[in-house]
Amino acid sequence: MAEKMLTVENLEIKFDLRGKKLNAIRGISLDLYKGEILAIVGESGSGKSVFTKSFMGLLEQNGKVTDGTIMYYGCDDGVPVELTSLKKEKEWYKIRGHEIAMIMQDPMTSLNPLKTIGAQIMEAVLLHQHLNRAEAKAKTLEYLKDVGIQDPERRFEQYPHEFSGGMRQRVVIAIAIACNPQILICDEPTTALDVTIQAQILDLIKELRHKYKLSVILITHDLGVVANIADRVAVMYAGDIVEIGTSEDIFYDPRHPYTWALLSSLPQIGVKGENLFSIPGTPPNLFTEVKGDAFAPRNPKALKIDFIERPPYFEVSPTHKARTWLLDPRAPKVDPPEVVEKIRNGGLI
Amino acid sequence: MEREVLLEVKDLDVSFGEKKKRYDAVKKVNFKIYKGETFGLVGESGSGKTTIGRAIMRIIPTAGGEILYKGEKINGKISKELDHKVIREIQMIFQDPQASLNERAKVDYIISEGLMNFEKNLSEEERLKRVDHALSEVGLLPEFASRFPHEFSGGQRQRIGIARALIMNPEFIIADEPISALDVSVRAQVLNLLSDMQKKHQITYLFIAHDLSVMRFITDRIAVIHKGEIVEMAETEELVTNPIHPYTRALLSAIPMPDPRHERSKKLLVYDPDMHDYKNSPPSWKELAPEHYVLANDKEAQEWVK
Repeated sequence: MAEKMLTVENLEIKFDLRGKKLNAIRGISLDLYKGEILAIVGESGSGKSVFTKSFMGLLEQNGKVTDGTIMYYGCDDGVPVELTSLKKEKEWYKIRGHEIAMIMQDPMTSLNPLKTIGAQIMEAVLLHQHLNRAEAKAKTLEYLKDVGIQDPERRFEQYPHEFSGGMRQRVVIAIAIACNPQILICDEPTTALDVTIQAQILDLIKELRHKYKLSVILITHDLGVVANIADRVAVMYAGDIVEIGTSEDIFYDPRHPYTWALLSSLPQIGVKGENLFSIPGTPPNLFTEVKGDAFAPRNPKALKIDFIERPPYFEVSPTHKARTWLLDPRAPKVDPPEVVEKIRNGGLI
Repeated sequence: MEREVLLEVKDLDVSFGEKKKRYDAVKKVNFKIYKGETFGLVGESGSGKTTIGRAIMRIIPTAGGEILYKGEKINGKISKELDHKVIREIQMIFQDPQASLNERAKVDYIISEGLMNFEKNLSEEERLKRVDHALSEVGLLPEFASRFPHEFSGGQRQRIGIARALIMNPEFIIADEPISALDVSVRAQVLNLLSDMQKKHQITYLFIAHDLSVMRFITDRIAVIHKGEIVEMAETEELVTNPIHPYTRALLSAIPMPDPRHERSKKLLVYDPDMHDYKNSPPSWKELAPEHYVLANDKEAQEWVK
């Protein structure tokens, strides 16, 4: 097995909202390996952003890690750091950017409109790498070239408004890379972009991962993007990972009813003239304690036990596990929907 | 069989700014929308697809060409009666359900505002009855009428936006990216709702979107627009299975499919507008397959069909 970069164990995050407690993350365990691209998929409100924000100490004021640990193994001195124990901003500075960097969804809001993009990338270089100004500038130009920006000398002097959306996202990626991180977290990096640009940015992320030996966590709601880029996939629902496995595991042999539902509701799968599959109901209210399988109320084929006891993880293969009672040896046989067969046989195109 | 044309756009030009700063957002666009069909306009940001929708809604003025609704010209100066008719019969559904609903108004008012403008002596009782009816049609509860938009989720708000359009009994709805801002599972619900409404009320749709995968599912015919020009137009299945113009092919190749093996082996096509050699032989509209039109010059037409 490859080297571990990050190990999350039994993580719980709660938010205080007007005196009420919101259980945003309900006991997640996860390993991130060196050099892999791990995708986290889920609907809005499933907690995927909150989960990864906790790796960088970026939770909102009212959010607290109430249980569990996050071990980070990538520090230069080789000493593992327990991230949830970091309290002061100063301690976080050693991690943020330098070890773990993040790319946000909207490139316009993450760039400073009043500074040239060259200055913005160089700022990160000067802060995180011990170089003088001339060296830093040379390095910046190199990064610009790496992220596919043509004519870097001229672009260096330009402001964000002179760039298109896709180009801005490339600049944001250059800033993240300039911090020289071990882990790159991309939070919906292509949602605000056109499809053709999206494909280019995904290619760029794949390329940079090899060049800079990055581990990438990609947060997205789009299963198509996941299929394109991910080595492993974690499916999140109501603050929990309900299924995790390699891309092949998740797309060709999904086991959790929620993963089935997500795959079925993709418009790529729809047949004209027929109604698209849509998941009935709404996600559970996380202000109250969730009993049993959180997805059970929306799952027409839910078993009785789904409403009573939370399922443990069942191992399908060494790389693939899912939290559903369907995998219990005593469970009745429930067939996955036809869509799964269709995807496995490549019958989509 | 001759189908009834509901809306026809002829040589439409829209430009912003004047003289030196003039920017042509839409250039000589032509298409027809038949009654009862769903016509898709696909393009990337900056292609002018939204501009065309707005020009039809009379929100922005046109610089040239004609827009005919039921055979009558509706762009430029028109009579007051026609204006009323157009406003009533053509409705719009917007992309962002957060921004398109008045935050300070109750759902009740938002939905019936248009109605009150047209039926001045509508009794309060009748108005509430119609609001109730519109709400239940889009799958919301009647008691939602007394709430404010912020109390709803994205999908519910989009339903409110749809109810607001439906209450006018429109014949034609322009849906501008109605599902781009929604979650995957909610998307399916809203798309299903739109197609149910179409079956029930014989509504004609102009569906504007950037995502060909969604369009494939919901539209009958598609026009692909690039930099203000329609480059290809055909029936949906024909366009998706037999794309001819390089831009359409690039768009199709970029759609991510939920199949890792296919995704890893696929080759991304990139469209470079400089590939066209239009200096000496300008392109024109050519029917390269039955009912399948492509913008190409003679040489390209020959090469692409091969």
